[in-house]
Amino acid sequence: MKISRNTFLLFSLLAGVFSCNDAIEIEQPGRLDANAAFQTVSDLEEGLFGVYAEFDIAPDIAFQSVFTDELAIGIGNGGRGLADYSFILNAGSVAPEVFWVNGYRQLNAANRVIEAAALVEPGEKELGRYNQVLGETFALRAWGHFILLSYFSTDFSDDNALSIINLDFVPTIDQQLLRNTNGETFALIESDLTMAESLLANTASDVTRINKDFITALRARIAAYRQDYTIAAAFSQELTDKYRLANRAEYRAMFRDESDGEVLFKLERTLGDFYDWQSNSGDPMGGGWAGSIFADADATIDGNPYFEMGRSLFNLLDPADIRYDVNVAPSSLIDPDYASNQNPETDVLVIQKYPGSEGRPLMNDLKVFRVSEMYLIRAEAAVAQGNLSQAANLLKILRDARFGTSTPTPDFSDTATAYAAILEERRIELAFEGHRYLDLKRLGTRANRGVQRDPIDCAFNGACFLPADDYRFSLPLPLIEFNANPRLRDQQNPGY
Amino acid sequence: MTPIVIFICLQSSQGQQKSISGTISDVDGLPLPGVNIVVKGTSLGTLSDFEGRYSINAPEGALLQFSYVGLRTVTATVGANTVINVTMEERSEALEEVVVTGYRTTTRENSSIASQTVSAETIENRPNASVVQTLAGQVAGLEIMTWSGQPGANSTVAIRGYNSINGNIEPLFIIDGTPVDEDNFRSINPQEIASVSVLKDAAATAVYGNRGANGVIVIKTRQGSYNTRLQVKYSGILGFNYLQDNDYNLMDSQEQLTLENMRGLGRGATLTPGEIAAAPTFDWAGFFFRTGLTQNHNVSLSSGGENFTQFTSLGYFDQEGILKNTDLKRFSVRNNTTGKTGNDRFSYGSNMSINYSKSNEPEFIGTDAINHNYVLGAFISPPYITPEEYVDGASLLDPLVISNTPLFLLDKLRTYKRQEEELRIIGSFNASYKLLPQLSAAVIIGADYWNIIRTVAEPPESFNALVFGGAENPTSGFQDQITARELRYNQVTSLNYTNKWRKHSLDITAYIEYFKAHNRFFGYRANGLNPKTFYPGDGDGLLQVRFDQDRQALLFRDRARANIIDMGLFSYFSQADYDYDGRYGFTGTIRRDASFRFAESNRWATFYSVAARWNLHNDVLSKVPEVDLLKIRGSYGTSGNQRILGGVFNGLDLTRNFYATGSGYGGQNAIFLSQIANTTLEWETVAQLNLGVDFEFFERRLRGNIDFYNKKTTDLYQDQPISAINGVTSLRANVGDLSNTGFDFSLNYDLIKSADTGGFNLTLNAVGNFNETRVSNIPTEDGRQLNNDGLRGTRNGGIIREFFLVRYAGVNPANGNLLFYTADGNITENPDADTDRVWLGKNLIPDWQGSFGFNMDYKGFFLTTQFNYVTGIDRLDRNLELVQDPNFIGQQRTSRDLLRAWTPENPITDIPSLDAVNRDAYTSDRYLREADYLRLRFLSIGYDFPKLYLQNTGLTRLRIFGNAENLLTWSKWRGFDPEAQNNDVGNYPTPKILSVGFEIGL
Repeated sequence: MKISRNTFLLFSLLAGVFSCNDAIEIEQPGRLDANAAFQTVSDLEEGLFGVYAEFDIAPDIAFQSVFTDELAIGIGNGGRGLADYSFILNAGSVAPEVFWVNGYRQLNAANRVIEAAALVEPGEKELGRYNQVLGETFALRAWGHFILLSYFSTDFSDDNALSIINLDFVPTIDQQLLRNTNGETFALIESDLTMAESLLANTASDVTRINKDFITALRARIAAYRQDYTIAAAFSQELTDKYRLANRAEYRAMFRDESDGEVLFKLERTLGDFYDWQSNSGDPMGGGWAGSIFADADATIDGNPYFEMGRSLFNLLDPADIRYDVNVAPSSLIDPDYASNQNPETDVLVIQKYPGSEGRPLMNDLKVFRVSEMYLIRAEAAVAQGNLSQAANLLKILRDARFGTSTPTPDFSDTATAYAAILEERRIELAFEGHRYLDLKRLGTRANRGVQRDPIDCAFNGACFLPADDYRFSLPLPLIEFNANPRLRDQQNPGY
Repeated sequence: MTPIVIFICLQSSQGQQKSISGTISDVDGLPLPGVNIVVKGTSLGTLSDFEGRYSINAPEGALLQFSYVGLRTVTATVGANTVINVTMEERSEALEEVVVTGYRTTTRENSSIASQTVSAETIENRPNASVVQTLAGQVAGLEIMTWSGQPGANSTVAIRGYNSINGNIEPLFIIDGTPVDEDNFRSINPQEIASVSVLKDAAATAVYGNRGANGVIVIKTRQGSYNTRLQVKYSGILGFNYLQDNDYNLMDSQEQLTLENMRGLGRGATLTPGEIAAAPTFDWAGFFFRTGLTQNHNVSLSSGGENFTQFTSLGYFDQEGILKNTDLKRFSVRNNTTGKTGNDRFSYGSNMSINYSKSNEPEFIGTDAINHNYVLGAFISPPYITPEEYVDGASLLDPLVISNTPLFLLDKLRTYKRQEEELRIIGSFNASYKLLPQLSAAVIIGADYWNIIRTVAEPPESFNALVFGGAENPTSGFQDQITARELRYNQVTSLNYTNKWRKHSLDITAYIEYFKAHNRFFGYRANGLNPKTFYPGDGDGLLQVRFDQDRQALLFRDRARANIIDMGLFSYFSQADYDYDGRYGFTGTIRRDASFRFAESNRWATFYSVAARWNLHNDVLSKVPEVDLLKIRGSYGTSGNQRILGGVFNGLDLTRNFYATGSGYGGQNAIFLSQIANTTLEWETVAQLNLGVDFEFFERRLRGNIDFYNKKTTDLYQDQPISAINGVTSLRANVGDLSNTGFDFSLNYDLIKSADTGGFNLTLNAVGNFNETRVSNIPTEDGRQLNNDGLRGTRNGGIIREFFLVRYAGVNPANGNLLFYTADGNITENPDADTDRVWLGKNLIPDWQGSFGFNMDYKGFFLTTQFNYVTGIDRLDRNLELVQDPNFIGQQRTSRDLLRAWTPENPITDIPSLDAVNRDAYTSDRYLREADYLRLRFLSIGYDFPKLYLQNTGLTRLRIFGNAENLLTWSKWRGFDPEAQNNDVGNYPTPKILSVGFEIGL
């Protein structure tokens, strides 16, 4: 009797621990295993939206405007972005890390969708959608490689120069790869674009998704960067023939996201998405709303514009030009005697390129390719091919559209003048869209131009001028990569 | 698996139970009431009554142990006789101090472990909301880091240095057998605590192996005593909390405006000298901070019958933080009962406490958000701005000026709400049953449950809502509510065998431990509030989502959130304890532990410990009268840490690859990679060697202990850098080793000891710890790992999170620019931000720490002091950096230090030119400052009314006292509080507290 009583007692004491597996084999809810992630074409499409979400040119806008002569320190700056503004750039700086790490995150994400797609068998009805998803992913991978290359390669026109690490596969965590050459990277980009071109549908109306025009525009831009001007001229003309420039009303509406205007491709930014937040760090780490790169609250004088438009850029803007209205907020204070008054409070040039949309101040879609850039590439190619009058005519077409009236045809005495005029036109047309730093890098020497700030904007730190052949027009490989991949130190860009 | 079977086939024969009784007296023959009598090896016990009589049931052959604080424990064997009378002598009272060793208790003499116990005496009546803060400085080797002056703020606790770089460093906290959340003590009433034992070495923590790698803190709450009449006690305390001031030497309005005028910046730019002279200087520190009030009331009732005891306590605590809008109100109830059967074979205890607290705790403290952080506002607000300039939130937008910082914050103070309500229930139940005289089975079941409801509201008319909602979205604002619950369940089942024959005693226990924890969370953020009907926490003013035709956009989108996390551990282990004649003793533990966190292959791990002691005073020194106790002990053992990322509910399944779904491009559903697996993760292991001496000399006037230890952590949890091509730049892995070597000491000396009651007594005491950390075997090419903060790193042969910075060299007399050292020690204005960084040998972790003080009493008057000291801490003074930053002139208040900035006329100075071109170019050690301090942490003075005076009052006890916390601090640190060991800006400093109180007993 006693045995059974004790046994019973023990059993009841220990009942709670009958199985220990309950404590150590725990599956957390909501986990998605790698092998369950992509099983259908719809899954792949959702994967594509994940890849798109990795792409953001707000860091490009931030770095390229702060490091160059697009903007000036605003009244309420509070020390933000001063290192970039003072041309201080080294392996520990924010920009190289952001562009390197973001770039490879994009490529890694794209590779995962591409590899997963190989295991998905689309049904007959799904084949079109499957190809479209895959085509967009290949195009994004090509674009991602090009962005990385554009910051870290020292010379786009030299196929033997060091490029970046090509990444067209999902790597394992122990891989430590070295840089490829430009030739190898451009080959990979072109092969991806060819693949994308073969997969994408012919008709596409949504400029927030990649289509064949994107591929043509990217090819035109790449060719211009490589100074392969025959190709650049052909691809850019293909698009200028197909689309017209926005008129003044369309131009204004385009930057308010009220219409697509002449946009060939833009990154959608909407309420509640990945980038719906305030970026006010003043460095490219930001992200977030594009307009919050320049101001805290909104694109008016009351929104604490911690960066203002650079005086040297403002002085190029003609109030009759629609680009003046788009770039300069009406609430700005403009002091004609700014140079003698020397009072930052009387001359406040508020940047308005990203005024906000959908009720959210400072949040706008990020324009990646517009028709005007194609005109400018065509003009650049014309100069390179010795056809200065064609270049002048192309610039006139663009200016006529922006002024809404016939403007005088520029007269180029030599190629340097013509390149300088194109660089200046790009500076106005593509202001705050993430072009200036790379444009100076590739065109500055030919145009005899560098970063040139108005004396008022650099009196405090002496950083007024940076020649276009300065080593800082190629970013250093970031320290963070050396921690994992020390052999890359030997491939650091010159100057760092 | 089912590891239970061994318990089933038990023999049922038992010794004959007898009723034993007797009288206990002291050496003078006077009866001793309240002596604790236990049947050794069981939890059966009783207390002697007022006449010193007792009775207890015990089987023949059992050992009866008689113990009483201050008297030497006596052991007697139950034989044929049913009467056992005992005489207890006083000679070496602390020999018999009860020592907590994991799940059992033993005497100090028989203990082989390194531990220290703090009794209620030095915990109670102190006006700290959290008992953990009260422990600071009381235990050698126990480091308490409190980063915030928020009432009830969490402290980070470490014992004998940091065993892990990234994994958990905090010890396991056990309250009455229940493991509890180590980060949340605001809801626990310190007045209920009877003792806190800190277990340090491997032998002490071995039985907690899967969570004991960082030491264990065992908290026991008060219990009633058997056969005791009802005792009622009330204590009331009133305290005043003050800001400890800073030494930043900030400018007054005249100086500030003159500087602004000189620089052409801010309000001062356009003022005339007359206007500057007339400007008021407003004290914004005095505006955002206040003298906080603390009230603390406690009633406790305890009693006990023949077979039952109870302890009940009610507490109310209300503390206003020194920062406005911060407070803590707590209501707590505790009920502890014990009981036993008449034959003493079965006994049980249950402990239950229910605590409810409500606190206001603003967010963004410790950040540089000038529209959120009141602490920042207290010292960087321009003094010439006054609260009268505030109209409302909207008017601050037009124009938006940074120098209006105090008004942004004033607006937030008036509009913003962040409140937490917490319900916390901690319960435990233990029972033991004697199967045989030598064999008993026991179970301890414990649960820690809390539920926090947090409400955060930013009303639509507030500045912060307007500035981000803007004119386009006028009725913005938001309300955020979450409820988080957590349950931790722990169960330990054990079988104990104990026997004593001739001079041998043996105690063996086998245990099974099951632990499971569940975390649940849900909440929402409602955007868009109607100012007419909105009230924080209420839903009437919440606006519905709607599509706005003008903007073609959805407005007021809300967000819902929810989360489920589970975790669990399972262990079985055994401990054996052997003693020979009170002279030698050995203890050994072996255990198998499984954690849910690791991949199948590394799930189980084995840990062990061995310990030995030699009581010299019972052996070779037994004839030396000066030596009351001298014990040498040593232990070695291992234990595991499975908290890979530090938090209990973080790093749950890092051994697997995961994708996740969420909002992707354009807000569309997306699938993306969320985690790359590390399939080799395993337990981080701490091995510890401990050698110690416990001693009591000269009739116990000098007593204490010294311990040397050497701990080695292997397979450290660290972020292994991986190439960015993986989409991430690091992966958590088991990388490197870490050692902590040092010693603890604890000394007490009765300088003056009176033979008479009420005579003059003076005791000096000191505790201290010296610890040195070394990291090794970091398997990167260059043997170092850098932190993402860009300030610190860890290298082979170095300390943890060592500052790794370019060295600041001063001001260039030629041009006022900053000068730095290159790595080679040359001076430059433009160092290389990468290669000119050097290891500075400094970090935020102390070398020496501890306390000293004295206790004095005379005829009921008493005076206690405790001076805490910490050395070897270096912190970045980010606040100083702010107030010395010339970029902020015109926007905020600056330090008078700027008045001696470099100018051509003042070339030799320590402050660079206000226009130095490289002033923002480099992160350097310019603001790295020594934060060592000596602090009068605690001072208590009071009077205990002698019993004589209370005879006809109906009171059994009356005591009045006054306490001071953090009364005086000596430190080179210029900030508010040297104690917060971090690099944050604008942190909430801990207060200085003065309090008075009284205690009465019925």
